[in-house]
Amino acid sequence: MKNNLKEERIKKELTQVQLAEIVNVSRQTIISIETNRYVPSVLLSLKVANALNIKVENLFELENSD
Amino acid sequence: MKFLLPHRFKKIGAIIAPLGFFLWFCMQMGFVTQFLIFLFGKSFNEQREFSYHLVNVIIAILSFFSFLGGIYFVAFSKEKLEDEMVERTRLESFQFSALVQLISIIIGFLSMSVLGEPSESGLMLFFIVLIFLFWLCFICRFNYTLHIKIKNEK
Repeated sequence: MKNNLKEERIKKELTQVQLAEIVNVSRQTIISIETNRYVPSVLLSLKVANALNIKVENLFELENSD
Repeated sequence: MKFLLPHRFKKIGAIIAPLGFFLWFCMQMGFVTQFLIFLFGKSFNEQREFSYHLVNVIIAILSFFSFLGGIYFVAFSKEKLEDEMVERTRLESFQFSALVQLISIIIGFLSMSVLGEPSESGLMLFFIVLIFLFWLCFICRFNYTLHIKIKNEK
């Protein structure tokens, strides 16, 4: 699953730490999501989308391999 | 996991585990015996054999369980912020350690069947190493994945 979290986060002028604090996770989790090392749960995906004020389907995208 | 200890236990564990190991190592190398002889003289060993052995056994038990307890503290302490990725990394690290332990058991028993049965103390040491291998493997893999690998990817 691809995501454009980094781009959306930068658009909203948020740092990794700030976003992590808003959604109540560690900075490592944000880094892992941005580098596609970790696929977040539905709950966390919704929280992140909500924090960035966008729809969750605009944040995550299925790949052919999924 | 609801049974995890508070984060401060990780620091406590990180202090008592190496201390316990150091004491256990000194015990195995005979440094503790030499130290006792230095303190109480050679007659302590000969005249008060019971006390001498009691001190040795107490130190052995204390060092072993300090090391084991320290390892458990480090392994079962929460991170500063315990989120879903930390929980998943913990679970994956447990699976990884279980696999490493299983492979070690198979290799160990295959070696025994080829090289011959070890002595009772050798077998005991093998099982102790297996216990520690699991926990050390878990701690290394968990902390490496969570702290070092991610930092390198930044």
